[in-house]
Amino acid sequence: MEYLKILFNILVFPGCLFVGAMGLLLSGIDRKVLARMQKRVGPPIIQPLYDFLKLLGKETIVPKAANRKVFLGAPVVGFAALVVTAALIPVLGYRAFEGSADLIVLLYLLTIPAVALIIGGSSSGNPYAGIGISREMVTMMSYELPLICIFLAVAKKVGGSTLCFSLSQIAAYQQANGSLIGCVSLLPAAAAMLLVIPAEVGTQPFDVAEAETEILEGPLIEYSGAPLAVFKLNTSMKMYIMTALFSALFLGGLATGVTALDVLIQVLLCIALTLICMTTIHAVTARLKIEHLFKFYWTVVAGLAALSLVLVWLGF
Amino acid sequence: MSYIHFPVIAVMTLFMGAFLTVVFGRKSKAVRNILALAASCTAFVLICCLIKPVLIDGEIISYWMGNWSPVEGYAIGIGYEIDQLGMFFALITVFTVLMSCIYSIRYMERDSALDFYNVLFLMLSGSVLGLVLTGDVFNMFIMIEIMTFTSVGLAAFRNNKAGSVEAGFKYLVIGSIGSSMTLFGVAILYGNCHTLNMAQLSSILAGKLTPSTLMAFALMFTGLAVKSYIVPFHTPAADAYTTAPASISMVFSGMVNKAGVYGMIRLVYIIFRAMDKSSVQLLMVIFGVVTMFVGVTMALAQHDFKRLLAFHSISQIGYVITAAGLGSALGLTAGLFHAMNHTLFKGLLFLCAGAVYYAAGTTNLDKLGGLSKKMPKTCICFLIGAFSISGLPPFNGFASKWLVYQAVYEKAVTSGNIFYAFATVAAVVVSVMTLASFIKVTQAVFFGQLPASLENVQEVPALMRLPMWIMSALCVLTGVFYDQVNKWLLAPAAGAALNVSGYIDRMMGEGYAAEAGVVNIPVFAARFSFWNPVVWLLLFIIVLAAFCLAIIGSSGDRASISSAPADAEDGKYATFFSGEKSMPSHVSGSDLFWGFKKNWKGYFKVMDGIHSGRVNDYALYVVCAAALITVFVFGFVR
Repeated sequence: MEYLKILFNILVFPGCLFVGAMGLLLSGIDRKVLARMQKRVGPPIIQPLYDFLKLLGKETIVPKAANRKVFLGAPVVGFAALVVTAALIPVLGYRAFEGSADLIVLLYLLTIPAVALIIGGSSSGNPYAGIGISREMVTMMSYELPLICIFLAVAKKVGGSTLCFSLSQIAAYQQANGSLIGCVSLLPAAAAMLLVIPAEVGTQPFDVAEAETEILEGPLIEYSGAPLAVFKLNTSMKMYIMTALFSALFLGGLATGVTALDVLIQVLLCIALTLICMTTIHAVTARLKIEHLFKFYWTVVAGLAALSLVLVWLGF
Repeated sequence: MSYIHFPVIAVMTLFMGAFLTVVFGRKSKAVRNILALAASCTAFVLICCLIKPVLIDGEIISYWMGNWSPVEGYAIGIGYEIDQLGMFFALITVFTVLMSCIYSIRYMERDSALDFYNVLFLMLSGSVLGLVLTGDVFNMFIMIEIMTFTSVGLAAFRNNKAGSVEAGFKYLVIGSIGSSMTLFGVAILYGNCHTLNMAQLSSILAGKLTPSTLMAFALMFTGLAVKSYIVPFHTPAADAYTTAPASISMVFSGMVNKAGVYGMIRLVYIIFRAMDKSSVQLLMVIFGVVTMFVGVTMALAQHDFKRLLAFHSISQIGYVITAAGLGSALGLTAGLFHAMNHTLFKGLLFLCAGAVYYAAGTTNLDKLGGLSKKMPKTCICFLIGAFSISGLPPFNGFASKWLVYQAVYEKAVTSGNIFYAFATVAAVVVSVMTLASFIKVTQAVFFGQLPASLENVQEVPALMRLPMWIMSALCVLTGVFYDQVNKWLLAPAAGAALNVSGYIDRMMGEGYAAEAGVVNIPVFAARFSFWNPVVWLLLFIIVLAAFCLAIIGSSGDRASISSAPADAEDGKYATFFSGEKSMPSHVSGSDLFWGFKKNWKGYFKVMDGIHSGRVNDYALYVVCAAALITVFVFGFVR
């Protein structure tokens, strides 16, 4: 029974199926709403699922210059890492694998899919992929600085003068004291987190790594068929993971204790957050250059996060 | 024969191996190799025999050379004293020596004057082992001297290549300044306390920080910092690691570097017992953070595989110094863990760099590329090493870095000092930059395009791959089972550094420490909050298995999935080079991060100016830093 529960947790909820479905749903909604914002009709909401299934059936071509095993293995490793990461993030009140990872671990687990994308693109031997991975890496350097400041600010707020990186403790604290977004000192951090999400997921204007119009999707340039489908799915799943992480960090007070209701609230929250920080920003901006992206994150976003850290430290 | 003789025999074996090589190894290659292997294996086995009594039973071994035990409370003879801390570093040392020795058999076969190589290598090994096992500060100084001069010889070993003699010279100058400072500090201590025994010094110096002992502290601190190459003393390391043969670069970063770190830990935790002072903690953490940051940013700008690794070595030592400088049990555990992991993954990476050099004849990142198809096994080892040093879970670098962050942030919240919070941020950012830099190496050496000149590259011989596989396996195992590593290795070692009275009593007689008023600091079990790599790995494997099952299940009717056009000489399937046959990437391997570098132009300009390559400048930094440390110590250490 115990093992069955673990299997259920990892394969159905909150693992594989749930994350995959949520990712596809979120990207479907994102595409639809974006289209409406641009006065287009847009695809049906389940279009990403159609795309995914269609890509699965296409021929997979491995370029001659590529290292075959790494090229085909990278998307799978990224997928598995994302699923496990998603299973570790609490769905409001529901925590499947309590006590097996904390905030800092999550920060690093989130880098594995990015590294998988980089290694996969790199192994294809294509020069456009080379430029793409360079940009992907610089993007990663850009958002890690604000992200760690946000995490430390939250940890200090929850832990006081003890060390606290535990997601469960953060959830418990919010259930007792209300959502963290209600704290004045953490407002800049929440704003910074909203700006980190699109960079982490790689949506416009922070999609420099994949910039279709300049470098032809960078790391993905040589991918086709099933591996490409998996990479696309990975990006969608990241949308869910990042929005879920935001709600776990800042909106944990909304948990009701009833699992079904919690899941519903979580889904709605994720949709709302996607619309706020990905769709809207996408609709009103054009793609940045990589050096501007780096500058933006290390000054504005990191500044917000560091401000939060200092405010928390001063006891606000 | 009782095991109390083992430590001294281990050190003697290595030195004897060096002298026997001079006598018998001049002509025959086989004799040389057998002597070197026999000496390093013997040392390895002898030290491993001490695991049971020292690490598991918690015994501290003392050994008086020539049975010159203390007379009337004064330790006159040279004493070896092996506590768990020394034992921990001794294990690191003998392991590194053995791996390097196996690797060098094939790696060095194309060089000449190999008898000198073996002599220098064995003397270096013996000196580092002696340094970590000795209980006498003057003996420690002698070992540091032997270590420095053999290192100079080895750094300049390939003297037919540009820069090696220069590297040796820089090493000589900076290293000598460091050694003389250590010697001066030892002399002051001797004048004050009339003893050179660490245990006795520790009990005499308790609470006695007179101006002269403070001077000794500042000098010895600087001297040992020079040996562990923290910024601004790092300048000779970058050159020496680059020009030395890879088997020696691995030894430099694996144990010579660690010997300096060991010396610093011994100095601040045991001889002066100064780690409860917040000023000393601040001093070490500032040095640590500056070191890790300068190291990694310099690494981002490098064009040479080994030079890049050298700067990462410097940067990773910054983590060790930061964590050890916190003065808490968690911090010291994290520092020791990272020191050990650094030996494993950096040794592995240097061996991979050596393999690339052996196979392709260059370590220039701009001239390499696409080697993963030619050297797949080396590529896998390199990726494991690169993931470990960049701290990707579940490799060992992650486990130790995660402990470092926890320790630093714990210090921040318990002391209320926001400086430590920003130190945590710096540590994380440095870790990401490390990842970036290794992505660059991966792209420039193993992936990317294969230059025409490297078409005939072959995988390196199995004897060279053996140490690489062993170290890769250890990188994974120590990362996944870090709880066990902590229990058997780190906790005893950290405990030994924090509980000095046992160390003193063992050397000077029961009750000596209590008489001198030495109190133990209680050690809390280092807290590992939430990271269960075993669970994570299991889940990961379940997902992977489910994924593979799904693929197998669905591919029955559709054979087209993962069809391989492979080597068909059909333009349709060739890599897409926008219509041209082979368009070179306009971003060369070493310039992969221009987006980052552009924003940091000013910083890199300053750094370029600082790393001028002139030994006069470098010596000046050492002297200035020594002056600053002295001023700091006199001003703030109370």
